[in-house]
Amino acid sequence: MQNVDYRKQILEPIKSLRGAPREEMYLPGHRTCAGCGPALNYRLVAKAAGRDTIFIGPTGCMYVANSSYLCTPYAVSWIHAQITNGGAVGSGVEAAYKTLIRKGKYDGPFPNVIVMAGDGGTVDIGLQAMSAMMYRGHDALFICYDNESYANTGIQTSPTTPYGANTTFTPPGKLIPEGKTLFPKDPPQLVIGGHPLVKYVATTCVSYPLDLMNKVRKALNVDGPTFLHMLSPCPKGWKFDEKLTLEMGRLAVDTGMWTLYEWENGVYKYQRIPKEYKPVSEYMKWQGRFSHLKAEHIAKMQAFVDEKIKRIKAVAVEAPVPTPKKRTKAK
Amino acid sequence: MAKEMMLSGCAAAAQGAKFAEIEVTASYPIRPYTAIMMELAKMIANGELDCEFVHGEGEHAQVSIVLGASACGARAYVGSAGVGVTYAFELYSPVAGGRYPLQMAIADRTLDPPGDFGSEHTDAMSARDQGWLMGWASTPQEVLDNTLINYRVGEDPRVMLPQFVCQDGYFLSHIPDKVILPELAQVREFLPPYKAPHPLSPACPVSHGPQIRPDQGAPMDAQRAATFLVVPKVIEEAVADYNRIFGRNLAPWLEKFMMDDAEVAFFIQGAHANTCKSAIRHLRDQGLKAGMVRPRWVRPWPTQQIAEALANTKAVACVETSTSYGGATRGGNLIHEVSASLYDLDKRPLLTSFMAGLGGDVILLDDFYYMAKILKQMVEEKKTRQKVYWVGFEDET
Repeated sequence: MQNVDYRKQILEPIKSLRGAPREEMYLPGHRTCAGCGPALNYRLVAKAAGRDTIFIGPTGCMYVANSSYLCTPYAVSWIHAQITNGGAVGSGVEAAYKTLIRKGKYDGPFPNVIVMAGDGGTVDIGLQAMSAMMYRGHDALFICYDNESYANTGIQTSPTTPYGANTTFTPPGKLIPEGKTLFPKDPPQLVIGGHPLVKYVATTCVSYPLDLMNKVRKALNVDGPTFLHMLSPCPKGWKFDEKLTLEMGRLAVDTGMWTLYEWENGVYKYQRIPKEYKPVSEYMKWQGRFSHLKAEHIAKMQAFVDEKIKRIKAVAVEAPVPTPKKRTKAK
Repeated sequence: MAKEMMLSGCAAAAQGAKFAEIEVTASYPIRPYTAIMMELAKMIANGELDCEFVHGEGEHAQVSIVLGASACGARAYVGSAGVGVTYAFELYSPVAGGRYPLQMAIADRTLDPPGDFGSEHTDAMSARDQGWLMGWASTPQEVLDNTLINYRVGEDPRVMLPQFVCQDGYFLSHIPDKVILPELAQVREFLPPYKAPHPLSPACPVSHGPQIRPDQGAPMDAQRAATFLVVPKVIEEAVADYNRIFGRNLAPWLEKFMMDDAEVAFFIQGAHANTCKSAIRHLRDQGLKAGMVRPRWVRPWPTQQIAEALANTKAVACVETSTSYGGATRGGNLIHEVSASLYDLDKRPLLTSFMAGLGGDVILLDDFYYMAKILKQMVEEKKTRQKVYWVGFEDET
């Protein structure tokens, strides 16, 4: 293989919120709901990634509510992908820049290629394309902004919708009192489990902006495929007061419903493990999607989370998000 | 000096892509087109071609990958066959609507069920209304020619459209024939490097494919349709340039065989045209003034040229190698458009169609003689008894 310098960018760590870039790459001009978690998510990702970035946006809330023709919120280049194929379009973008740089047709730094997909576009209809992008080793970041449902189409269940959620495809009724009966897929574990070229996977949440932005930067600095799973609370889909978006994210972490961690070259590091977990009911009680649940259902959810926490405690090393100092050399 | 080689249709397509200096391609195996990607993989492994070769995880991904690459300004190439062509269907409209002038080679194949490797045009014909340029070659040489001509037309700033460059599976994709290879310098003169007007690039931020309101849809559709009014001129210019630079004599729209005094004509696309020409020579010996018209393009459809070519015939047979179940004639596709092309003539020829070569069946000389017998009968009776005949399944007439 040729030894080509693809001019990979190295992004510095962000030490404090005050030290975050002032420049916004995701601007007003979209039509997301008040309190939208994914919109805030997008803003933080774009801010962390900076100017030399290309977003691939598979269909989902962040397509339909964001990218109005002639009024786009993206200050960096952005392309719509089908909900099916974010990973594949991202792979094509990355492949194109490889050739364009090699042939001297593009003289900037290698762009940050970021696929910004919802949960359906990541682990449901988009799973194949995401997995293939991770497998083939493209220098690109796949982000799953997880609002735990197909929200844009009117809140239908997705593989990451939690057990017991009332969605329009899992309405509670006399025969099925809990609504959704299945427990969710685990996107980062799917990636970690079977993609040998992936060296960095992490989870984060909009409620922890510094954690989120540094994980984005760290992922982008890796030369190769990376995956971030981001919890993006959705007031409309989860049915909570829109002023509580950040609170929902924090409660998710405090109850163990969500865990912040990094996986790097086979090693797990956890962030913000509570000294004592709050019961899941503390998280669920704010959300209308769980309001129909009976004590037995909440107990089932608690058992699910307890089991998860047990596994974490077995391996947990608490550490702040380490940010890279050294430049990883482009192949 | 131009070099001559014996190449199959697949090998000729790969040579065309190599001479076009493609920059990104995406593969997925399905017979019979696979050989194109096998050839390209070898060229890349041997350092003959500097191109990113991405192993797609399916045809849907293949087309998605080249869509992304084309959006960034790379010359992108892809291909498929049969159910692979239909698996990728979701992407055809986004590629055309995004005006990404990538190229997709199709070595056609019967759709399932049941599984059948044979050639049939239905796979690609199903996608004919997705806004791509489309046409069939009839020889490996024409595959190479079409590869270069299609890039040139598709990438023209007045056009900016993707292209389906089709060839019959096996009959063409796997049977070698003599192909003249061009010089790279000639190709570069004919086909300048691709320059995307608004590439997806950090250098100048753009949004590709944002959501529109319903009232913004019609103007965009109209714009896409209007492009097809400009395409014919660009095709004619490109073919004229091709003939000049490569010393060739290609017709832009139709191959006309013995049409000068033809009373009955076969209208047929693809490689079966070669058998048809042999049949016509024999039919002429028997005293039947037969001829053949072979369209080189399905999109844009050469309406006017077809009307002119068939205006003086008495009876025309569309030889259908694709199906349109439940369509106007309950047969194939071509007759719909041929009928529309002939409708405004003052004196229309009689028109029928023959379902032949389906499932990869060979269309034999005898099949053409059978069709000729019916054409002759139509002329004698001055009427069309049936609009469609399923060759081999009709009671003797």
